[in-house]
Amino acid sequence: MATAQHPAAPTIREGVQPLRAGEGTSFVWRKLHSLLGVIPIGAFLIEHIISNWEAMGGPVAYGKQVYFLNHLPLVRVLEWVFIFLPILYHALYGIYIWLRGKANVVYYPWAGNWLYVTQRYTGLFAVIYIGYHVATQRFMGVDLPNHPAAAFWKVQHELSNPLILAFYVVAMFAICFHFAYGVWLFAAKWGITPGTEARRRFAWVCGVGGFILLAMGLASIWAFVGGKYANAPENPSLSYQRTEITVQRAALNLQSGAFVKIEQTASRAS
Amino acid sequence: MANKTVQFEIKRQAGPDDPANWERFEVEWRPGMNVISAMMEIATNPVTAEGKPTTPITYDSNCLEEICGSCAMRINGKARMACSALVDRLEQPIKVEPLSKFPLVRDLQVDRSVLFENLKRVKAWVPVDGTYDLGSGPRVYPQQQEVNYPLSNCISCTCCMEVCPQFNEATGFVGAATIAQVKLFNNHPTGKVFKEERLRALSGDGGIQECGYAQNCVQACPKQIPLTTAISDVGRDVIVQKAKDWLRG
Repeated sequence: MATAQHPAAPTIREGVQPLRAGEGTSFVWRKLHSLLGVIPIGAFLIEHIISNWEAMGGPVAYGKQVYFLNHLPLVRVLEWVFIFLPILYHALYGIYIWLRGKANVVYYPWAGNWLYVTQRYTGLFAVIYIGYHVATQRFMGVDLPNHPAAAFWKVQHELSNPLILAFYVVAMFAICFHFAYGVWLFAAKWGITPGTEARRRFAWVCGVGGFILLAMGLASIWAFVGGKYANAPENPSLSYQRTEITVQRAALNLQSGAFVKIEQTASRAS
Repeated sequence: MANKTVQFEIKRQAGPDDPANWERFEVEWRPGMNVISAMMEIATNPVTAEGKPTTPITYDSNCLEEICGSCAMRINGKARMACSALVDRLEQPIKVEPLSKFPLVRDLQVDRSVLFENLKRVKAWVPVDGTYDLGSGPRVYPQQQEVNYPLSNCISCTCCMEVCPQFNEATGFVGAATIAQVKLFNNHPTGKVFKEERLRALSGDGGIQECGYAQNCVQACPKQIPLTTAISDVGRDVIVQKAKDWLRG
């Protein structure tokens, strides 16, 4: 038989095992990790940094944005399905990938190899930061989904500690790098940019995009600590909230049959 | 006046389970000499720099002109071909070690059969065996030849695998060389009959998904094979194949 092994043929005693052709499920898990990094996690990062930008307009503008996000339909479902669970999976599988890799940048100090290592360290830093950030800002202290107006005050209070401020700034660098290089890696590994020249061009796109996100993120941090909105009120009144209260009152009036009053309150609210 | 000499430090190991140690050697400098010629001299005259007789060093080599892929070893810490490693361009003492990711046989000789096994598992060949003359194959246009020729230059030296952070016992990653050969044989008008099988094979554990795109492979490749381009192209083909299989299944 053609496939019979020659008795003298060497058998692999140890070392790296050969490809398990067509076996196992690691392909799907690895590609899921890769895809989730761009959508939805990357998309969420962009949304988050754009939302942060509203802080440039002060406590009311920022509070309105937090109010808007927390009043999206099925917002708690969106939050878990498109943010928390994907990040959790991306983080855990990413650490698993890291543990199985064997960095050798000491022997081969080449650009791509440095980026490979940096992607792992920035990813780990991002995991630590996001864990802290979500715990303190989403699940501890003032409950922002129910008190969106307090958002600016809460963040400003958090960033008043210089160590935490430094932590946020470093995390902004780490996360923007991790995302920008991640998008570049995604395009390379999914065969979108197979050509060397295409990858070089796309590196500029990712680099500039990442830098813009970084600049916007740092500018937003500055909005909290720069002094322009020093000592932000804990509970500024948002016109959205007023509208809601008015609408609730109007609904009550509706029950009592006072149609005229509704129109008046509605026009005042708008 | 003493002749100019070249200093070497070679990692010695009598067998897979024996302890490793370093030995220093000194050989006479000759113009244009390469590391493999020095290895030959040291093997011919196995006396250390201290004048102590030792066992002849063992290493793989054959063509001496970077075309057979045998003499890959770590020279000053970097995996490369000993034949194209010119002594005058290396810092001395020149440290020579066996490749680190393959089972050691003796001294600088390692067992690289994992690459051959991987090539078999992706069917890296053109199936033309038969009981009668199949006639001439389909024509390959020059444009296609331009793409295929660089891929066909692979000498199976395994440098791309040695320098890859993902090629290790934890991942069992297949390595860049095999992926490039999948691209080569999938491009071949007769070889592409196995295209789907090759792509499915590469989606198995240790397959193309384990690539971390550190791009060391393309830096280390002595034949300048566009390995990262091949990984990108084949990566896309594997994804498309898996999606097709999933939807057809």
